[in-house]
Amino acid sequence: MAIEEERLPFFGPSGPPLYLYVHVPFCRSKCPYCAFYSVVPGTGAVEAYLDGLEAEISLRLREGAPFPSLSSVYFGGGTPSLLSPSQWERLFSLLEVFCLRPGAEVTVEANPESLTASHLCLWRERGVTRVSLGVQSLDDEELRILGRSHDSRRARDALGALAASGLSFSADLIFNIPGQTLRRWHRTVREILAFGMDHLSLYELTLEERSAWGRRPPEGMASGYPFYRWSQWYLASRGFFQYEVASFAFNRRWSRHNLAYWNRAPVLGLGPGAWGFLAERRYGNENSLAGYLRKTEEGRLPLAVVEEPDQERDWREAAILALRTAWGISRSLFARRYGPVPLETLLTVIDGLPERFFRKTEDRIALSRRGMAVANAIWERIL
Amino acid sequence: METRRIRNFSIIAHVDHGKSTLADRLLEVTHTVEDRKMRQQLLDHLELERERGITIKLVPVRMNYRGRDGVDYILNLIDTPGHVDFTYEVSRSLAASEGAVLVVDAAQGVEAQTVANAYLAVDQGLEIIPVINKIDLPSAQPEVAKRELEEVIGIDASEAILASAKEGRGIDEILEAIVAIVPPPAGTEAEPLQALIFDSVYDNYRGVICYIRVVNGSMRTGQTVTFMATGLSYQVEEIGVFRPQMVPIEELGAGEVGYLIANIKTLTEAHVGDTVTETRHPAAGPLPGYRKVKPVVFCGFYPIEREDYTQLREALEKLQLNDSAIFFEPETSTALGFGFRCGFLGLLHMDVAKERLQREFDVDLVATAPNVVYHVLLTDGEVEEIHSPAELPEITRIEEIREPIIRITVFVPSDFVGKSMQLCQDRRGTFVSMDYITPERVRLVYDLPLAEFIIDFHDRLKSATRGYASLDYEQRGFQAADLVKVDVLINEEPVDAFSFICHRDAAFYRGQAVVRKLKELIPRQLFEVPIQAAVGKRVIVRQNVKPLRKDVLAKCYGGDITRKRKLLEKQKEGKKRMKQIGRVSVPQEAFLAFLDVDSDGD
Repeated sequence: MAIEEERLPFFGPSGPPLYLYVHVPFCRSKCPYCAFYSVVPGTGAVEAYLDGLEAEISLRLREGAPFPSLSSVYFGGGTPSLLSPSQWERLFSLLEVFCLRPGAEVTVEANPESLTASHLCLWRERGVTRVSLGVQSLDDEELRILGRSHDSRRARDALGALAASGLSFSADLIFNIPGQTLRRWHRTVREILAFGMDHLSLYELTLEERSAWGRRPPEGMASGYPFYRWSQWYLASRGFFQYEVASFAFNRRWSRHNLAYWNRAPVLGLGPGAWGFLAERRYGNENSLAGYLRKTEEGRLPLAVVEEPDQERDWREAAILALRTAWGISRSLFARRYGPVPLETLLTVIDGLPERFFRKTEDRIALSRRGMAVANAIWERIL
Repeated sequence: METRRIRNFSIIAHVDHGKSTLADRLLEVTHTVEDRKMRQQLLDHLELERERGITIKLVPVRMNYRGRDGVDYILNLIDTPGHVDFTYEVSRSLAASEGAVLVVDAAQGVEAQTVANAYLAVDQGLEIIPVINKIDLPSAQPEVAKRELEEVIGIDASEAILASAKEGRGIDEILEAIVAIVPPPAGTEAEPLQALIFDSVYDNYRGVICYIRVVNGSMRTGQTVTFMATGLSYQVEEIGVFRPQMVPIEELGAGEVGYLIANIKTLTEAHVGDTVTETRHPAAGPLPGYRKVKPVVFCGFYPIEREDYTQLREALEKLQLNDSAIFFEPETSTALGFGFRCGFLGLLHMDVAKERLQREFDVDLVATAPNVVYHVLLTDGEVEEIHSPAELPEITRIEEIREPIIRITVFVPSDFVGKSMQLCQDRRGTFVSMDYITPERVRLVYDLPLAEFIIDFHDRLKSATRGYASLDYEQRGFQAADLVKVDVLINEEPVDAFSFICHRDAAFYRGQAVVRKLKELIPRQLFEVPIQAAVGKRVIVRQNVKPLRKDVLAKCYGGDITRKRKLLEKQKEGKKRMKQIGRVSVPQEAFLAFLDVDSDGD
């Protein structure tokens, strides 16, 4: 997609709530299943990255600041916890141009091998409310297969530290790892719940085309379905509410930031490889650190891709995203935002599918638990 | 050229006995083709022919040859196809010749098609030159082959030429024998023009090209000619000979073989077997023609994309221009939409047509399982000819169903007689005869329903006899049988494209095999899909495709949304190549499922 315009319109202070995403593109090593952009940082790379970020923010500011206040901030990666506490200090100071709304959610992604007590201390001081830990598994054999740079002991230490920190925290787990059995999966889930997190994200191991495994798939992969169905049942019995196909929250502690994506709310994305969504246009930044830095140094926004609005594509995408969540699609809101004809078309498709995959009320249509388990096939029909 | 210096001949052989290699060698020795232009099997000019190593279309070639008597001769070689499906093409070649070189493999001896083709030649009154080929092989037994020629076919093999087309041995002797034994053409130039059209092809640039054999009189460029069957007249634009590419010449005299281009728009105007005469001095009557061949095997061709229907029709029309034995008519299937019911001379013919459509005309199509033609005697005494199971009238209106019967002749080493007979019995065969042609080899003759033959009979026979059996068949008319139509239902809906007709005793077994195969091929859907086979209202087999349980749940944050959407789009694109039947997506392979249900065994 060609970029015709480097500037993206911004909202005034009174605009709708804005969500901020900051991508930290560094990892200690590259996992064979991951297709997100990250590199192992060389000397001075993190400083150069922070310089770039500073430039990107001031470019954004010149477009007509002040920014609206933020409903959430999310530091994702990569491995944000790979930045040292002093680097974090600088990152926080760069973001001081933004205001947070009262009660805003601020999440940092962390990995067990790089998370330290000083990180947690600093984060809490600077207003971080939530940590999402990339545990993936508590089985050493599985962690080895996944190529993670931590072992289960390190993961338990990090979980213990989080529980003690008083922060809200979440863990990512992966199922259908080669050789994994339902029994082993059950052990990981049961044990991790004992640490008292209020959020879990479960992902099936996906062979992404751009990852190492996508090019050379591992052997011994079963169907992920039984793992998923079991988790749906088990987590519900432990008081977790499945509010999205891959996300489970205890005590209504769902991730408001992630909900913003699924509701197509405005997101300002910063950093190499970050994606944002402003004025109904999704954009992606330059993926490579070098390309990102070149553009920011030249005083240009580091955009690589901008998707122009396309009514047909947009309403289908909106329906698919909304169906990811437990709240589903509101017929009235959908019609107001995308028009009555798309709604009609959408309902015709949905009516042609088996009833048991949906939960329907007066205004809303959402996927049932069974529906979530075959969500891809349903979305494909909507596309 | 005087007719006494012309020789028109064909080469006939069982498939793989070296006919095309021999033809290549003849062209080489007579310098018809320069050595550097020589490719293997020069005459097999369809891409497919070379790939499969078989000859389908016949090709005539003109060679110049100076005999040992010092006289210059013109030798016209009319190549013939080797597969039983194309026997009719052989008879057309033979009608344009006065002699035939009968090639027998020195190691394999006389095979089923050797006999069939030799008898065709004898029927036409041709002189036969027996050639024992491949004498270079260590396993060659020329004496045995000669004895078989005499005992099985009953021709004098004492003068048979021993040759190796591969090594170029015996080629001169063959050329000399052609000059000495094949009589020159009988016609004279004094008579009014009579030329036989023995084949015609359609060329995108030149229009219809007729392959002709001038019997009497002569043909010149600019002459006005009449096609006697249609009564239409044309001005001759170009005539010429094949060397083997087309070379225009001024005149084709009596006995000569060549081509004719005359601004003929469609092949229907140029009937194969028609006689061309001069408009101003017409001949008294036409030459004896050919019997028209009727297709016996039918199947449906459907475009994968509905909008490609017109493209498929145009492609079929063009294919028919090149192969008038193909029959097609529009057909509508509730499952597959608009398509065509096509008729062929046999399974290979069908396969070749399908591949040519895909390769040369770039049409993506679904082919339904083949069936034979049936004659249905109705209660009111009428006889209806049906080309597809869907056309079968209601049971209450049917008095009886008649199916085509063929007589197959199998040549098989005596060790495999038992297995071969068992196979024929299993396929509802009726024993006709068995005789030992040598102590080691047996000729088996059975009458077999064609429907049983078209389901991989040939492959089964080959595997039951480790490839040693050879076969030939001829049609023997129609015979009543206890046949039923089996319907296949997917998700409770009958899918006409899957219906088939078979013997009542085989209905359960065949139904089960088809249902099992479909269960394997139909991917899991969002709901359970029952697959059933039924005779009338009675369901005889049922299996379920379990609902979808395997799916991928991936992260979907930020930028992933775009990527995720693209993945879904790709996934959806993949499914487009499936046919949608009601709410069920069915892959194309499913439509061919029962071509090989039998070979699954169990």
